Parts: sequence; structure tokens; C-alpha cells
Amino acid sequence: MAISRDTLTAVAFAVDGRRIGQAEQHDTLAERNLRFKPGDVLAVKVRRSEVPAGSDIYQAFEVPYQKWMRVLDALNWIAENAAADLAFRWFCGSKMCGTCAVRMNGREVLACWEAVEPDMIIEPLRNLPVIRDLVVDRTRYEEKVASLEPWIERREPYGAFPEPLTHKQMKDASKALDCISCMCCYSACPVIGLGNLTDFAGPAPLVQLGQTALDPRNSPEKVRRSLEQSGIFNCVSCYKCEEVCPASIPIVSRIIEPLKAKAAQLVPEMAINSFALREVVASRGRVDPTELVLRVQGLRSLRNPRRIWRLLTRGKINPIRTLLRLKTAAAAAASHLLRDGTGKS
Amino acid sequence: MKFAYYPGCSARSTCAELNEATHLVANRLGLDLVQLDSATCTGARELRAIDPPGFYALNVRILALAERQGLPLMTICNTCTLNLLDAHAAFVSDPELAESVNAKLADEKLRYSGRTKISHFLWVLHEEIGEQQLLRQVVKPLNGLTVAAFYGCHITRPPGRYGFVDSRNNRALERLAEILGCRPIDYSGRTECCGFHTAAHDERVAIKLTGQHVLSAKAAGAATMVTPCPLCHTVLDSFQPEMEKDVDRKLDMPVLHLPQLVGLALGLTPEQLKIDRHMVPAGVLDGYAAAASNVPR
Repeated sequence: MAISRDTLTAVAFAVDGRRIGQAEQHDTLAERNLRFKPGDVLAVKVRRSEVPAGSDIYQAFEVPYQKWMRVLDALNWIAENAAADLAFRWFCGSKMCGTCAVRMNGREVLACWEAVEPDMIIEPLRNLPVIRDLVVDRTRYEEKVASLEPWIERREPYGAFPEPLTHKQMKDASKALDCISCMCCYSACPVIGLGNLTDFAGPAPLVQLGQTALDPRNSPEKVRRSLEQSGIFNCVSCYKCEEVCPASIPIVSRIIEPLKAKAAQLVPEMAINSFALREVVASRGRVDPTELVLRVQGLRSLRNPRRIWRLLTRGKINPIRTLLRLKTAAAAAASHLLRDGTGKS
Repeated sequence: MKFAYYPGCSARSTCAELNEATHLVANRLGLDLVQLDSATCTGARELRAIDPPGFYALNVRILALAERQGLPLMTICNTCTLNLLDAHAAFVSDPELAESVNAKLADEKLRYSGRTKISHFLWVLHEEIGEQQLLRQVVKPLNGLTVAAFYGCHITRPPGRYGFVDSRNNRALERLAEILGCRPIDYSGRTECCGFHTAAHDERVAIKLTGQHVLSAKAAGAATMVTPCPLCHTVLDSFQPEMEKDVDRKLDMPVLHLPQLVGLALGLTPEQLKIDRHMVPAGVLDGYAAAASNVPR
């Protein structure tokens, strides 16, 4: 793995710094498909839920490669030839039903749509209880979705018939409608991985909510009720959900962020932290982390005097700058652009 | 090589040492950094959600300031980098948006035409300086220093921006560490999230997440971590006592800003690079600095 300093000199210049590692790790679909030749044998390890005492919970199989082999083909080969009792779900085999998601080498994939790797560890999805082997219990997700009431309610009479509705008005909701409820994102989400630490609904339920909450025909009252119990501002914006989504839904930028915008408008108390940041930037040009934390946490921010002392002695915080609310050279521009000439943000 | 330089808010407040280290290292590498004095915040994660027009205005203005100077833009913060890349992409693909943003900038006689190249310091090292040049400038190779690269999210994801099927395949930091003479180690936290973006209202998430990453780096034998993002640094370094309480284990894991690691190999001292401003002392590096200084050039 490590490159010696002597061989480094012989390595060609990496032209695109943002993609270093992509070629050597076969990180493109074409690369991954073209790595095999007929006769190759795949080393597959599958996580089993019930094993005889003393044997490995990862059961190893040698699976002969077939042309254009998918993870699902490997699982089917194992079920037919080596382990008839292996439990896994699949139905359509063509990226529609969303039942065959598993983790392959630590990454959430649809078994029916993922090329095999020479060495594969296949595990059930995370963040949902395992029923058996690769089959998980989706009840937790389904209950959350139901509690968010992802449907449209209308109290106002229709504006016209046929009702005017543009692509632009539906651009985010229509992205959410691509969801096949495969739970890849739910398994990849680090905040969901922390269990009940926060009230974050998780990416998959929020995408389901986005289908109707981002539809301009839905009643704001209905959307407000749903958003109130979404915990949406606990999203850490890590884009893990976007990375694994087999339907390529831009979950953070086109679902979660527009839903946050709705929440800011319909349930402003949910977004006070975001408003606080905007106020700090609008008045001082840049973020002063101390002022932001004071605004967001209030007196709560003083409860850890040892940390405050630590931060003070290392010069990490500057109370004088914060108390005097010293402006930066960027303050005028920020105020102009964020306050829209009204003097208020 | 000349760049318009955008350090972001963090490197001018809690992580001021990052700003200083970047200037020192840039100087050694022959990078001429032009400060954009009136550049605002890029809006963190908050503005892009609750105030998209404000978000685009702030970011496009920064791009326009660089374009006015005719310079590419260099960042040292992951989140700022992604904000600027996203705003640029939206600007060039939506003429209506472009027009409305430029109308707001007109009061300052600024106008963006979509020509600013945005690059993070990590990519500048690989693309503009290049491995050959870096190897020539390494005067104190950090021989065998085991380094855990912590990428952070916004320099590896979303996939649509950076093109990785699996962001864990990104090796830009490890490659750089090898050039500097270090031994990069593999561990589970490499491209995971530090939780910074919800830490202002609930730091428990950040503490729980990063505790596991630091533990995993430690178990894999890392002497130090390195990150290209000051936001990740803030969590990894400043919250470490809380993480230790949470995982019930002593961690003592120094965390370096990317330019600090580069600076050490270029012959700058830990004092010059202000490594002593970190919460977790980096005593392990003193040994390296001393040993390395005996190596003849």
C-alpha cells in the first residue's frame, strides 16, 4: 500500500487532485466490471445470524464468476449451491422494488444493481433489527413514515382546472418521488446510527415526507404538523445518504435543505440556530463562533467552565471581540446582501 | 503561482493557527496568496437551507472578488469549498439566478461571469505544486510518522461533485502524507463525519461520532491525525476531553491541520506552525522535529 519515496519520483503527476485514488481503487462502474475474466472465483463472506457454536459468524463461499455478475447473482448462486438456508430478500431484480439492499464491503448497495467485487463481505443493513441473515425488520422506518403523515391535505378550492403546476414548482418533490424505499440511506446515516440520542427522523422518512411536503399543493398547516416532529435540524449534512442512494436522489441538497427552508418559514422556532447564524453574519460579516454559541445555547454555554478556560488559554476564543461585537471588513457587504435593504435579517 | 485566498471564518477565529501556518507554508512553496479583505462568510450549512438567495449572493460575491483580480481561488475549509463549488455550479446552470445575483452585486460594481476556478489547498498541493516539486522541498521527511488522515465530508462528498462511487477510495491525503515521509494508516473513520454542523446546538452527536473515529485511529496505531478542514479540527481537538469521558478511555490524539503537517516536512518548527495552540499537545512531533533536524539536507 505504502509508496516508497524512491518509487514516488517515478509516479506520474496526478492531474486532478480531487480524484486521487479513483483509478487505483477501481472506483468507476466500468473499471469494476472489467476486472474479471471467465473462470475467476470470488471470495464471498456472508454474515449469518445463526451459526453453530464456535464457527465464524461470517460464512465463506467461493463463487464462480459469471459475466456481468451482480451481488444478487452471487447470493442466488450461494442459495442454490452452497447454503439453501441463507435468508435474503429480493423481488424485481431491476432497481424498482427496493427490497434487496445489503452492505457490501461496508457500503450500502442494491444487490440487484451492484457489480460484484473479487473479495466481498456481505452484511445486512445497519440501524434496523436483523430478522435473519440479510433480512432486516423495516417496522421502525414504516412507523416513522406513518407518523409524519406523508400525504396531501387541501383546504383551499382549486385555483383552476386543469390546475396550473409547473416543473419548477415540483422540481424537488419530483426528485423525492424517485425513492424506492430501499433503506440504503437509513443504514448509512451516522445520526440514525446513534439511536435515540436525537429526534432526527432520518433520510428515508424525510424523503418520503418530501414527496408531499415539497408539493406546492399541500396545505401549509399539514406540512407544519409533519415538520414539527421531523427533528430535521439534527441532520449533520454529511452526504452519506446521497452517496449510497441507488436512485441518485440528492437527498441533502434537494430534499433535506428545502424541507429545512419550509420549517424556517412554517415553524421558525425550529430554525432559531440557523437564524442566529444569519444574524451574526449579517451584522459582523463573518461568523464569530463565540457569539454564535452564546446566541444558540444562552447560559447553557457556560456550564463547562473547564472547557471555556481551555479555549481561553489557547487563544481559541476572544471575549473582547465578541462582547464589543467587532465588525469585520466584510460586515457592510454581508448586511447589504442578507438584509435586503430592510435593515432586518 | 498566485491565488486569491479565502480562509473562511474558522481559520480567522478558533483556528487562527491554520491561517498562520498556511501563510508560512505558502511562502515556502512559492504560492502568492492575495487576501480578499471584504470576503464574507459562505453561510456554513445554515444559509443554503433557510436563505438560498442570501447564500448565492454571498458565495458568488466571493467568486466575483477573485474574478476581478483574475485569480483562481484557494480555500482551506471543506465546507466553504463545497459552498463555493455549489454556488458556482448553480450560477452557471441557471441564467435567471445568475442575473438576480449579479443585480445584487451591481451596487458594489461587481459582476461574476463564471470564470473563477475553486481549489482547496490539498488539491493545490497535488495539482499546482505537484509531487515532484513537493519531494524536492521536503527537507525534514517525517520518517515513519504514522498519520491518520481525516478527510471530513465536504471534500469527498456529495458524489455528484467529486465523482467517487465510494468516497473511501479518495487517497489524496494519504498520498500527500507519503510524499512527506509519513506512514499513512488505514482506519474506519477516514471519510466519516465529525458532527460539527449540529454541534452548536447539540454537541453530543459530534462527541459520540468522533470518539469512535479517534479510537479507531488510535487502535490502528496513528501517532497523529491530520485534517484539511478547520471545522473537523475543532471537533477532533477541542472536544477530545469530552470524547474521552464518553468512550471511557484516554485518547491523547494530536490533530494537525494539513498545512501544519506539510510545514513540518518543509522544515518549519512546531512553534512557528503554532501547533501549541491546539488543545491536545503534540509531544510526539517534538521528537520528530528534533530527529529530523539532524538529517543533513
